[in-house]
Amino acid sequence: MRLAWRGWFGGKRGARSVWILGIVFVGLFIVGVPMGLGLRRATVPIIPVIALIVDLVLALVFTLMLSQTLAAATEALYARGDLDLLFSSPIAPRKVLFVRFAAIAANVFIAFALLISPFLLPAALLGHPAWLAVYLMLAAVALIASASGLVLAMVLFRLLGPRRTRAVAQVLAALIGAAFFLVTQARNLFGQQQVSGVAGMVMGAARGGLALPPLADWPLRAMLGQPVPLLSLLAISAGLFLVATNRIGRRFAADAAAASGASEKRQQPARLAGAFASGVFAVTVRKELRLMARDVPLMSQVLFRVLYMLPMLFVLLRNAGHSLSFALPAGVGAVTFLAGQVASSLTWITLSAEDTPELIASAPAVMSLVWRAKLVAGLAPLAVILIAPLLALLVMAPRAGIAALVFWPISAVASGLISQWRQRPAKRAEFRRRASASFMTGLAQLIIGALLACAAGLAAAPSGWSLAGSVVALIMAGVALFALRRDERTIMEGLLSGAS
Amino acid sequence: MTDALVIKGLSKAYGKPAVDGLDLTVRSGELYALLGPNGAGKTTTLRIVAGLLRPDAGSVRVFGIDAQAEPAAAKQLIAWAPDEPLLYDRLTPMEYLEFVAGLWGVAAGPAREKAEALLKWLGLWDERAQRCEGFSRGMKQKTALAGALIHDPKLLILDEPLTGLDAAAARQVKDVLTERVRGGTTVILTTHILEVAERLADRIGIIHHGRLLAQGTLDDLRVRAGEREGTLEDVFLELTAEPNAVAPAALSL
Repeated sequence: MRLAWRGWFGGKRGARSVWILGIVFVGLFIVGVPMGLGLRRATVPIIPVIALIVDLVLALVFTLMLSQTLAAATEALYARGDLDLLFSSPIAPRKVLFVRFAAIAANVFIAFALLISPFLLPAALLGHPAWLAVYLMLAAVALIASASGLVLAMVLFRLLGPRRTRAVAQVLAALIGAAFFLVTQARNLFGQQQVSGVAGMVMGAARGGLALPPLADWPLRAMLGQPVPLLSLLAISAGLFLVATNRIGRRFAADAAAASGASEKRQQPARLAGAFASGVFAVTVRKELRLMARDVPLMSQVLFRVLYMLPMLFVLLRNAGHSLSFALPAGVGAVTFLAGQVASSLTWITLSAEDTPELIASAPAVMSLVWRAKLVAGLAPLAVILIAPLLALLVMAPRAGIAALVFWPISAVASGLISQWRQRPAKRAEFRRRASASFMTGLAQLIIGALLACAAGLAAAPSGWSLAGSVVALIMAGVALFALRRDERTIMEGLLSGAS
Repeated sequence: MTDALVIKGLSKAYGKPAVDGLDLTVRSGELYALLGPNGAGKTTTLRIVAGLLRPDAGSVRVFGIDAQAEPAAAKQLIAWAPDEPLLYDRLTPMEYLEFVAGLWGVAAGPAREKAEALLKWLGLWDERAQRCEGFSRGMKQKTALAGALIHDPKLLILDEPLTGLDAAAARQVKDVLTERVRGGTTVILTTHILEVAERLADRIGIIHHGRLLAQGTLDDLRVRAGEREGTLEDVFLELTAEPNAVAPAALSL
C-alpha cells in the first residue's frame, strides 16, 4: 500500500498531484453539495428499473476493476524484488498473497471511492446516512475483482505458460476494461437498432416489460443500507477473496518462481536484420516502430483506447448510409477526439518514454529531426487504423468525410505536438501515470481535443452557421495549442535535467 | 598536436558545487584515467564534456572545437558510454548499431560492415539477432561499447566501464580499449578499480570536491603524494584523505 501510495503521490510531482486532486475534489464537492441538498427528501424506490440500473453500474465498475486487478495480479507474478524477499521469509505464501491482493483490492476501491465521494458524501450526510453502504458495496466489488483477477491470472499461467501469460493478460485486461462499452454497443453495431442494448433493457424495465431474476434487487437494497442484503453480499465477497488467496497461495509462489526463470532465460526467435537504414530520420522511425511492435504490454494499454474508437468508426460508417442530422457530425467529432487521445498515447511512448535519452542527447543529430521522426512513428499506427474508414466516409458522406479528412489529422498532430513540446523523461512502465506527471498539460490536451472535436462535428453538420462555429472552435484550439509551445532549447533543458 | 580535451575553469553546482573550477588536459591518443571518491565530480565532468549538461562556468574544447559554441561538431568526435549501458532491451545488437550509426550519420553500407566487424570482434556475432533483454551484464556492456565505437570516435569517454563485469568480459573490454588507443583513439575512463587505472592508463587525474588534486603518470603522482614506492591505491588514499577522517583502527571496538 505504501509503495503504491508513494508511486502516485511521492516526490515533488506527487505533492503537486495531491494539490491538484484536492482542488478538483473540492470543485466536485461544490457541485455535489447542492445535489445532496436537492436529494435530502428524495427516496429511492426499489423497483425493477432502478435495480437494473444499479446492477448494470456495478457490472461496469466490476469490469473496470477487474481490468486493473488482472494487470496487477500478472505483474505481481513477474515482479521480482519484494516477492523474492517475502517468499524467502518464514511467512506462509498464502499470507503474503493475502496481503498483496488485499492491497490491490484496496487500491482499486480507493480510486472508485474517491470518484464518487464528492457526490455521495453530501447526499449521505445531508439526509441519507444509510447510503454510506455504497462504500461497503464498492469494497465488496473490489474484493471480488481482486479475487477474480488472481484466479484469471493463474488460469492464464496454467494454460499459456510463463512466457506468454504476461502479454496475453495485458491484452485481456484492456479488453475487459472496454468490455462493458463493447457489449453495450454490440446491438448497435451489428443490428438494425439505433439504441444500445443497455438502453433497450432499461426502457423495457421502465415499461414493466422486463422481469428481473430473484435477488437482482439485492445490490440496490444493499446500497440503500438494508442489513440482510448488505451483510450477505459482503460475506460472499470476503469469502470468495479468502478462498481464492488461501487456495492459490502456494501455487502462486511456485508460478512466480517459474515466471522468474522464464524471464531470465527468455530467448526471442532469431531475427536477422536486413539492409541498414540511413540517416537520422529513417533509423529513428524504424527504431520506434520496432520498439512499439515488440512492447505488447504497453501497446495493450493503448489498445484500450483504440477499442473505444473502433465501435465509433463502425457506427459512423453505418450512419453515413442514412441521412441522420445529428449522429454523423457527432460521430466525426467523437472520432476526432479519440484520434487525439490515441495519438497522445502513442507519441508519449515515442517521445517521453525514450529508453536512452542520453544516447540521443550525446549524438550530433539535429534534435528537431529526431523528434519529427518520433512523431511520425507515433502517428503511423493511428493512420493505419483511420485510413480505410476515412476513405469509406469520403465516398459515403462527402461532407462528413471532408471534415474527417481535415480534423482527424489535425487532432492527431496537435496531440503529437503537445507530446513533443511537453515531453519529459519517463519510463514506459509509467504510461498509466503519465497524466499525473503534468496535470495542466493533460487538462490542456483534453480541452484542445474537445475543441477540435467540436470543430470537426460542426464542420460535418450541414449548415452554414455550423461552419462558422467550426472555424471559431478551431481558432480557439489553435490559440490553446500554441500557448503550450516550447522551443527546442527549453525542451532539451527539461529533458537533460530530468535525465541527469 | 592538438590536445584531445582541454577543460578550463569548469564549474557546475547542484546547490553545492559538484565541479569547482576544474582545469584538465587530456592529450591526443592517450588513455586517461579520471579517479576520485564517490561524489568527487567525475561523472558530472564527463557528462558536461559529452554535451549532456551545461556548465555554470568554464570552457570545454574537444580537439580544438568549443563544445558549447559548436556542440554538434564536438559530439561528432565523441562517444559516451556511461556505467549503465545505453541500450534498448527490445532491439537486437544489429538493430541497435543501425540506430546509433544513423544518429552519427554513418552511411548504411559502411555502418553494416562496421557493425558486423565489431560484433565479431567483441564475441557477440552469434547473438546478433537476439534481443538485448536476455543478455548478461557483460554482453550488454559490450553491445554498448560496440555502439560507442561504430562511428569511429576520436574521443571515447567511459564511465565505470568495468562495473559488474566478470573476469572474461572485463579482460575483453580492457583489450578493446588498449587496441583502440594503439589505433589513435583517445580514451578517458573513470573507475573505482585502481589496479585497472594503474595498468592501463598513460596518465591519471585525481579529482576531489570537484577540483583536480593531481595528474600525471603514476610516478608523478607518487612524488606529489610523497610516496616513494606506494601503489596507486596508497597514492590515491593519501591524496584524497579527509583531514577529519577517522582512521580505520579507531573504529574497531
